[in-house]
Amino acid sequence: MKISLNSIKKYVDINVPTDELIQLIGSRLVEVEGHEDLSLKYANIYIVKVIECSLIEGTHLHLCQIDTGKETIQVVCGAPNVHKGMLAAWIAPGAIVPQTYGNENFKISTRKLRGYDSHGMLASIYELDLSDNHSTIVEIDPKMAKPGDSFTDVFELNDVILDIENKSLTHRPDCFGIIGFAREVAGILGQKFVEPEAIDLPKIAAGELTIDIVNSEICPRYTAAILEMDDATSDDKYLTLSDVFLGKLGMHGISKIVDITNVLMLETGQPLHAFDYDKFIQIGGAKTAKIGVRLAKDGEELQLLDSTTVKCTSNDILITSNHVPVALAGAMGGMSTAIDVSTKRVLLESASFSLYNLRKTQMAHGIFSEAITRFTKGVPPSGTAQVLAQAIEMLGGKPVAIADSYPHPAKPIKITLTTDDINSTLGTDYDTDLIVKALENVSIEAKVQGAFEGMRSHGEHERHAPVTTGRADAPRKSTCTLTITTPLWRTDLHIKEDIIEEVGRLLGYDNIPLDFPTRPFIGSVKDPIFTLKSTLRNILSDKLGAHEVLTYSFISAKLLERVGQNPENSYQIVNSISPELQYFRQTITPSLLDKIRENLRSGHTDFTLYETNQISQKSAGLTKERTPVTSNHLAVVTLGDYYQIKAILTNLEASLKLDFKLQKFTDDSAPYFEPLHSVNIYIDNTLVGSMGEIRSQILQNFKLKTSVSALELNLDELPTTVVVPSNLKFTKYPATERDVTFKVKESTTFASVHELIIGTFKANDDLVFKVTPTSIYQGINGATRNLSFHLHFASLTHTLEANEISAIMDLITKNITQTLGAEVV
Amino acid sequence: MSKLENLKNELKALSGEYAKIKELKAEQRSAFGAKLNAKKAAILRQIAELEVATESAKVAPIDLTAPAAPNHLIPVVNQGTKHPLITELERVIDIYSRMGFDVMESYQLDDEFHMFESLNFPKDHPARDGYDTFRTSEGFIPPAHTSTMQHRALLKYKDNLEKGGQIAVVIPGRVFRNEDVDATHEHTFYQCEGVFVSRDANMGQMMGLLKNFFETYYEQSLNIKTQPGYFPFTEPSIELLIEKPKSLGGKGDGWLEMLGCGMVHPNVLSQAGIDPKKYRGFAWGGGIERLVMLKYHLNDIRYFESAKLDFLKEF
Repeated sequence: MKISLNSIKKYVDINVPTDELIQLIGSRLVEVEGHEDLSLKYANIYIVKVIECSLIEGTHLHLCQIDTGKETIQVVCGAPNVHKGMLAAWIAPGAIVPQTYGNENFKISTRKLRGYDSHGMLASIYELDLSDNHSTIVEIDPKMAKPGDSFTDVFELNDVILDIENKSLTHRPDCFGIIGFAREVAGILGQKFVEPEAIDLPKIAAGELTIDIVNSEICPRYTAAILEMDDATSDDKYLTLSDVFLGKLGMHGISKIVDITNVLMLETGQPLHAFDYDKFIQIGGAKTAKIGVRLAKDGEELQLLDSTTVKCTSNDILITSNHVPVALAGAMGGMSTAIDVSTKRVLLESASFSLYNLRKTQMAHGIFSEAITRFTKGVPPSGTAQVLAQAIEMLGGKPVAIADSYPHPAKPIKITLTTDDINSTLGTDYDTDLIVKALENVSIEAKVQGAFEGMRSHGEHERHAPVTTGRADAPRKSTCTLTITTPLWRTDLHIKEDIIEEVGRLLGYDNIPLDFPTRPFIGSVKDPIFTLKSTLRNILSDKLGAHEVLTYSFISAKLLERVGQNPENSYQIVNSISPELQYFRQTITPSLLDKIRENLRSGHTDFTLYETNQISQKSAGLTKERTPVTSNHLAVVTLGDYYQIKAILTNLEASLKLDFKLQKFTDDSAPYFEPLHSVNIYIDNTLVGSMGEIRSQILQNFKLKTSVSALELNLDELPTTVVVPSNLKFTKYPATERDVTFKVKESTTFASVHELIIGTFKANDDLVFKVTPTSIYQGINGATRNLSFHLHFASLTHTLEANEISAIMDLITKNITQTLGAEVV
Repeated sequence: MSKLENLKNELKALSGEYAKIKELKAEQRSAFGAKLNAKKAAILRQIAELEVATESAKVAPIDLTAPAAPNHLIPVVNQGTKHPLITELERVIDIYSRMGFDVMESYQLDDEFHMFESLNFPKDHPARDGYDTFRTSEGFIPPAHTSTMQHRALLKYKDNLEKGGQIAVVIPGRVFRNEDVDATHEHTFYQCEGVFVSRDANMGQMMGLLKNFFETYYEQSLNIKTQPGYFPFTEPSIELLIEKPKSLGGKGDGWLEMLGCGMVHPNVLSQAGIDPKKYRGFAWGGGIERLVMLKYHLNDIRYFESAKLDFLKEF
């Protein structure tokens, strides 16, 4: 939203420099995104008179002599409406064309056109950056100016325009008008705002003008007047002050009637609409004006002023003439009742509509006009009549009928709170007078309850029992009760917190003394998953050399298809901006597989990627809160075969002090694993994940030529308490080292041999031991394998004798050979 | 006689000198002893140097700048990396943890109630538009802010209040907004939320705490300022700005908008069964990406979710 500082100055005496004012507005009302000094933008533009004008033969150009007030100068002009005797706006050589100001900053010079010197240019309203019409140059009313006058002086452009960030004023419809904004500026500057004098509607009967609002919730108030216009049609050929006023605030002039409604909207925040009354009657087919306000029927059509035809939804509000739709309420008028050059009678609307309906209208039809922007903030119904009265006065026509439908007039809201409520919430020590003054400056009435009696009996405000202001060490300050009466335009004030905010804001949040929460020292609790993720990062990145990545939680149908996951098991995003983001992922591994090729192509080799993040599978159902079950997962992908990823898992297992059990692969959620080269991972009897090689078909889908393996763990299923190793035994006696190799049948698993060796050691309480696999050898014929182990063991009680050592080795050998049919090599 | 032998003889001779100390007057002894000690130390140093030189004479020199000896494999140490965004998030959480805040993570799929209703957004209110939420076909919402967890945090910890304590929680999480991606916009990003509720919480405490957070984070004292804001779930609502820190090239002039915050709206408290007449709270939330981008002078937010090793290996 753009705000003119000059307009604000009409209401407030601004006694600080512009920069300081902008800073104050920024810290106490709303973010100012930028500002523009128009006196610089429109520098060196003058009013000139065209004293001679002739067509340059063979062109559409005119050679003009202009009177600049100081001298006569030659300009070539291409506009068809340039003519002798007119006053025009002349951009002098050296001046910047306003339309390019702040961007390319195009500087006008003296140049030759068709052999003629042309000094500066005669400007169109487009070049003046006040509208988009560039086919004709602007013509200036000789009653307003004379040659040599500065354009900025004549058209009130010695102004600064503030660019306001709308979003933080969503709840403040009153600030979408200059008056409301000025009221806030006054409050910020500590001045009492002088409310503009209210004009009453002329006392004219409604007569045959009727207003029928079907439901006052969609339209709390509708005020309308019929005006007979004397010269409504005398369309001004001159550039008007309204044109410039609207132009500098981002709108543009259309016609006298429409311009006045728009100027009033910018001034008051109340949008108005003007219908051609005769057309309105005609289209309705009734003899009198029967205004109706109702919800549209689904599919009902209406042609709008911009020539587009909208198909209404049942949320749209329609204005009807004797039941025939003539306007999409709050958004745009209809073509059939548009004001034009032959308009004799005007039906003026000043109304308030439901912001909820209009918000849906805005979204459904993509209409983002200045009017709907205001209506979607909730234009208060209290002001419609007042603004209509102003419009009647400005339009100068003769009002013949006025009607006002306002079934449930708004009443001021009363809020009671104490000064201690304010001070203890803000952490301040403001006294009652300061608070009351701050509120009253912006026309919020604040009565100090019982103050007079208090003054009589104690010579000061009545004090309630002293209440401390929060902190124990804060000075004890007594408190007063305030009764607040909110002005009708402040639809955002309902509860005492709203008043606290007003006081905090108007007196400056930056003036609040900084403090700290008062609380005892208590150890804080970390989310176990957050802690586990952090531990995993340390292990994977710092110890195992893996790279942590982040990938999107939403994936494409294509990716699901590539890895063979069923889209039915994914939550589907229905309003995604891209097909890449349509499904919530079921596991993380596919996202990582998708990132391998690109990294290989960038020249990275031999890498491991991992990510910890949330996933969701529809099959997991809903939580007690009826929201989807999401789980925290870890996925790791690495280049290489099953044993590559297994080494990582083994390392994680050791670092986390967990005991993973690997069993036959059955994981349906990971159809990208090759079942014969993959396993389920369990802790006790809980399935916590799976791991293995990616199927070759899947690799092909990702155009990968190298083998890839992956693991994915559900972190929510891992024990959250740190496993502390217990029953640790150490010995001071020397250890024995032995290497042993068993030749086993191919069908004998490594684990069966490994576990048997360990089992044998474990059976002997006196021993501490370590069993380390050293090699697995398979001959060319492949019928047997040689498994070699390095054994390290010692006694807890004494130095092992040679015969004891042989006995231990013999026992191991015997167990393995007898149980597994293996032989010692 | 070799140089080493000479030195050893000198050392022997010197030990004899020490015996003379006894013959001196008490006041002379200390100076004499110091002189001898210095002499002894010098000899010992020379001996040590000589011994090293003798040993080195037998060792062949190597190219200390080379990564490996000739004809040896170059040793490879796989250097892993951590994602800078998560590293920063952990740093943020670590500071709040040390202040005494509990930590809970936000959910990546949530519902209308937690996204809006529980946060005092009226139904169909235009304030909801500002959040550009994604929706699933069932009407679930991948949350557009970590504030979705406020209601849960209040419920989870409200017992603390009844026991005379406070609620102090921070909530990191991944959030989503339905917008086009470019160098400064991402549809997927990280936030950290904070909620504090006690009997006497106020805005001065909130601003003091947040100022201290940023001072701890940037390891310097910083000025802060505020801007009024509007969030349906806080009242009053403000935006907090900090002075541009020195480490980011600040010279005491620029300001950075860091987060939105305010006093928890009474409706938010009462929806969670906390009596707003007895307790007050404040809450805040801010993005993590911006912290990382400012820190490393990154100008393209798209790197974060790219999984490009070219990028990640720099951290």
